[in-house]
Amino acid sequence: MATKTLVIQPVTRIEGHAKVTIQLNDAGNVDTARVNVIELRGFEKFCIGRPVEDLPRITPRICGVCPWSHHLAAAKACDAVFGVEPPPAAKKLRELCNSIAYMEEHILHFYFLAGADFLLGPDAPYSVRNVIGVLQAAPDVAKRVVKIRHMCAKMLEVLAGKPIHPQAAVPGGFSKPLAPVERDQLRKQADEALELAKFSIAFAKENVFPKYLDVVKSLGVITTGFIGTVKDDGALNLYDGKLRLMAPDGTYETFPYDRYTEFIGEHIEPWSYLKFPYAKKWGDGFSLDADNPKGMYRANTLARINVCDHIDTPLAQTELEEFRKKFGRPAQLTLLYHWARLIELLYNAENAVRLLDDPEITSTETRVKVTPRAGRGVGCVEAPRGSLIHDYETDADGMITNVNLIVGTTHNNGPINMSVTNAAKSLIHDGKYDQGLLNMVEMSIRAYDPCLSCATHRLDGKLSVKLDIFDVDGEFLETLAN
Amino acid sequence: MWEIDESDLPDFCSKPTLVLGCGNTLFGDDGFGCAVIEHIQDHYVVPDDVCLCDTGTGVRKLLFTLCLSPIRPARIVIVDAIDAGRAPGEVFEIDPTDIPVAKQDDFSLHQLPTSNLLRELQQTCSVVVRVLACQTGPLPEQVQTGLSEAVSSAVPCAAEWLVREYFSSNTAPRNDED
Repeated sequence: MATKTLVIQPVTRIEGHAKVTIQLNDAGNVDTARVNVIELRGFEKFCIGRPVEDLPRITPRICGVCPWSHHLAAAKACDAVFGVEPPPAAKKLRELCNSIAYMEEHILHFYFLAGADFLLGPDAPYSVRNVIGVLQAAPDVAKRVVKIRHMCAKMLEVLAGKPIHPQAAVPGGFSKPLAPVERDQLRKQADEALELAKFSIAFAKENVFPKYLDVVKSLGVITTGFIGTVKDDGALNLYDGKLRLMAPDGTYETFPYDRYTEFIGEHIEPWSYLKFPYAKKWGDGFSLDADNPKGMYRANTLARINVCDHIDTPLAQTELEEFRKKFGRPAQLTLLYHWARLIELLYNAENAVRLLDDPEITSTETRVKVTPRAGRGVGCVEAPRGSLIHDYETDADGMITNVNLIVGTTHNNGPINMSVTNAAKSLIHDGKYDQGLLNMVEMSIRAYDPCLSCATHRLDGKLSVKLDIFDVDGEFLETLAN
Repeated sequence: MWEIDESDLPDFCSKPTLVLGCGNTLFGDDGFGCAVIEHIQDHYVVPDDVCLCDTGTGVRKLLFTLCLSPIRPARIVIVDAIDAGRAPGEVFEIDPTDIPVAKQDDFSLHQLPTSNLLRELQQTCSVVVRVLACQTGPLPEQVQTGLSEAVSSAVPCAAEWLVREYFSSNTAPRNDED
């Protein structure tokens, strides 16, 4: 049998060009699988020559899915370039916005994106395994989700003037203090969000995860290190702290953001537009071989849950303890990203309540002055999809001379490829494959919640997937499509 | 189990007509949709039964909410830039069901927003979806802001079309002296 190349284009799920290419060997089993995602090129170059203070305004438009993450990382990089420390109220307001934006994101992902797989089951007919299927199966839940997501958007509007493409975080602080009457309104809303967070994780633990534990234990499983942000005491923090890079055996190093280039290298593969960060500090080099990976580490929810020593909000800490009792530390199963995401949802809701109860949140001292200078500044926040690094250099007039961005999804580029390879290998044997494999492969990608993925099913349940099969000489053989 | 009031829902769910300006204002002509929304807000009085949204690059989150909401608009109009091989600046209407298959799944910076979701809102949720598109000029070599001359000239034309189609007959242009 000639070797065959299977190409999956999950085109409803990826913003930009993306495809999965699976190479079969002579026996019809999977040799390799590659996920190609087109990175938005040119953005870093576009920033050169601009005033650095423009970047918190510009970078939220890199991506419409996580504008707040870019906004805050850019503001922090500007703080570092200018050599200033924002006042405590400003940091708390930024962190509060981050927590609210997180809640909106994580709710969207669990209920809208992953939900169709888990709430309805990966084996459910395509006709129900979609957003409308979720709505029909759990209409009260759907209504509640709509209300809370809208409420989070309104909360951000109160804090920052607008929820989409924010501009409130500025170099040196936050442009708008929070009035006490606004705080009181937000406090009530934070309580509502906390109730949904508590419900979500309880619901998932009772109705979702036990049912699909076999899938969780088997789909796209790989062994890697992890990266995430922790505070000085090792507590989880999504806005500020230090980066912690954990090896597969659980040992780790913690370092300040501006030393990231000592720990993280960037590898290029000729078949992908997206770079492959790897842990060069480990000294093993780079390899995507799932049986013998080198330098591979993961970011995003599971990574953060693994690298932190504890969570400093009580309900999320209780959940973390239960999670670790079941799965250990570090937990490696890819689909546990979803469980970790719900722990983070709970943490963010508790954190929002905590920040709103802090009297300092309504201080009117929200900004310090900045003066242009030549310098370098690294700002990092934990975007929902992973550690987001903005690295800026400026000239004496404060104009950008160099920009390097590592977005959350980029950290996971290598591991996503490994997970897809493993998923494909477990599903394709002796040259036999079917439409069912498409969703299982996509599930392994969806767990990472890649930023370039608009991971939803078509409302009618079909996948809008085209599978082109070529032989090793590039000769077209057939197309599977729906 | 949980009660939800119409006041709990955003205007973009509850108003009968929703106009969404989409695109990235940093990427040249991709900012057409946002420019049209701004033009209408600057030059017309928007009636109460119309919700105008500059969604920038964040339209998908809004569309997800619409899919799940118990209340949806009767009609949605998307305003966006597209590369359809026409003359730069040409304004034309697209029915989501008429988008060529190649275009549906051929993403570019000027890709219509989540074309599949729009089509499915129309077919599954009985929402009337129309797309008002403007043909972009040639893609610049580098990312840059600002509309090309041809697309910039099309902004008032597109705004007038929307006002004519969806604003009530007693909606007058704004008088800047008011």
